[in-house]
Amino acid sequence: MDETVAEYIRRTVLKIPRDEIKSMLQTWGFLSETQLQTLNFHQTKDNISQDVVQLCEDNSADIKQAAVLDIIYNHIYPNKRIWSVYQMNKTGEETDFFDLTDFKKKFKRRLQSALKNVTINFREYEDNAIWIRIAWGTPYKKPNQYKTSYVVYHSQTPYVFISASVLRSTLPLLCQALVVASNYHDIREMELRSHCLNSLKDIAFKRYSQTFQTYYPRPLQERNVAPENVDLRIIQENRSEKERIQRVNREVFGDGPQPKLEFAQYKLETMFKSNPKMDVLDIKEPFRCLVKFSSPHLLESLKSLAPAGLADAPLSPLLTCIPQKARNYFKIRERKGFFPGSFVSP
Amino acid sequence: MESEARTLPSAGRLSGAARLSRGPLFGRAHGRFGPGSGGPLPPCSQENADPQKTAFLLRKQWALYSVTPLYKFSSGKLREYARLLGAFIAAERHKGLAVQVGVDLDIQVTFSSLPDLKGSEQDHAAMLVQLSSRSSVSPKNSEEKLMWSGWFCCVSGDDLSENVPEDFTCLPLFLANGAESYVAIVGSWFQKTFDCRFRRLAISPLNLTWMAAMWTGCKVEKNASATELVFSVPCLPQPLDISYAIHPEDAKALWDTVQKTPGEITQEEVDLFMDCLYSHFHRHFKIHLSATKLVKVSTAIASAHCDGIIKFLQSKYLIGVLMLLTELAISQIQ
Repeated sequence: MDETVAEYIRRTVLKIPRDEIKSMLQTWGFLSETQLQTLNFHQTKDNISQDVVQLCEDNSADIKQAAVLDIIYNHIYPNKRIWSVYQMNKTGEETDFFDLTDFKKKFKRRLQSALKNVTINFREYEDNAIWIRIAWGTPYKKPNQYKTSYVVYHSQTPYVFISASVLRSTLPLLCQALVVASNYHDIREMELRSHCLNSLKDIAFKRYSQTFQTYYPRPLQERNVAPENVDLRIIQENRSEKERIQRVNREVFGDGPQPKLEFAQYKLETMFKSNPKMDVLDIKEPFRCLVKFSSPHLLESLKSLAPAGLADAPLSPLLTCIPQKARNYFKIRERKGFFPGSFVSP
Repeated sequence: MESEARTLPSAGRLSGAARLSRGPLFGRAHGRFGPGSGGPLPPCSQENADPQKTAFLLRKQWALYSVTPLYKFSSGKLREYARLLGAFIAAERHKGLAVQVGVDLDIQVTFSSLPDLKGSEQDHAAMLVQLSSRSSVSPKNSEEKLMWSGWFCCVSGDDLSENVPEDFTCLPLFLANGAESYVAIVGSWFQKTFDCRFRRLAISPLNLTWMAAMWTGCKVEKNASATELVFSVPCLPQPLDISYAIHPEDAKALWDTVQKTPGEITQEEVDLFMDCLYSHFHRHFKIHLSATKLVKVSTAIASAHCDGIIKFLQSKYLIGVLMLLTELAISQIQ
């Protein structure tokens, strides 16, 4: 067995949490049940990985088989990578029957003819997703197994989820191969990125819960008994303002849990309009800013801003449109014309 | 060493700090060095600080501390201090209390003076302490590796130095780069030897707004980095950070329309600058940044974090930034 293959298997095993190594190796299916029984999973991970490599040696594993183990790991831990959503377009009305064998053949041929050295693996999952792992080489260099690209493609949709290789120059070729293999005309990045692949799917496939039309007001339950010396009208006013914020928030964000995104970015090139109270000259040129929001769960934290008194209700459409527009990277310019308070995002 | 947020200085004190820093920051003399003070111009203008000699201070993260005046410190004894501190570290290691370093490592201590880092005649020369390691197995052919550095300085700290008894040396600002465990051990030796006290120097959000305004107003070359303000939003079920970066030219243009008082910066101007940025942000996102916490400011001049961490980025403005930090350290001591 090639030394680089042995090292790759060893490092892949080291990435897996110890109590999941056995089940991942079973899913892999490369080692027999008898071989797996000889493994001692109670020793250090380093020793386990050495033993696994030894067994793979006995079965003379090659890189294609080692790559499958990597796909299994990435399928279970997709959040270790950052994913970007792409959408493909057709020119005409023609609806092609999707043929997986044909897709694989075309995809491989496109990359191999360009690079010669490239490792390509496919693996299909029950949710109709095809996972593709690509390790990139050049006509003169062996593929680098540590700088892979991952593609998750749902053939019944025009969406592709790509976790690009750090070798950025490979991206155009990868996109080309996808378009050719799936009989589309072109592909574009949707400017929607996250570590959470499932949330990206929820947003792209519009699977997240929205309760825009189906909202029934419910009285808020306030158990606090107001102190007697406070004006009841003020209490009433506070309560109705709270209720309004809750209602508006629910209309905008819905009732259900939000899809998980970690960031949103806005490049602003809008006019700086000073508040008349501030006695500052208007600046005639666009005011250039870059605003980044980051949070372990961005949409949930945005949702909690207005109830916490940190933002107006409703929150700006620039923020609340993220799931509907299926993007979290924006470039904002001033809209020319009638509405001074409105912006466009091209 | 305790870490404690300092209380907000009064507006009057702050505007004093700004006058102080503005002079050297803008290459002009103001405030106490201005007309009427009678003294000569401070030897702190950028021409005096040799950029070569202070280049190693740039682009590193320095943790800030305030230090009370050192008792019976003598700059003629730096060699002896190095030897004593070296022995102290060795003894601590022997006790097993000290930092974990490889058993085979010798720690080399050096003390040196940084005479360029001064603001006024009365300022004591800055002092650098460096710890480097050398393998004790083969000390001859192994290279020395710098593990930790820390420096004491006082830039225009006349407020303090004028008011301490003889026998005391004022170096109120201490900056450290490297493992915090070394700060503890070096700090305890200084504490023991010179009867001084170290305290973490946090930077309040109010002082951060001053830094944002002052540094934005400084002239820098083209392609300078943006004025970036980082806010953290407290008390949400999920934490949220907001980075608001403004193109340096546009930020300076805004500051120039806000800044009207000739020769000094006022609290009102700084507040107005921030309010303008907040209202521009609110117009787009409907979020009230004024209700969040400003945690970090970075500009082409320097970057500062509220936890008391600073990074100097331009040797030209090093003295000016140190002057402001000295002011903050002194107000923490007093």
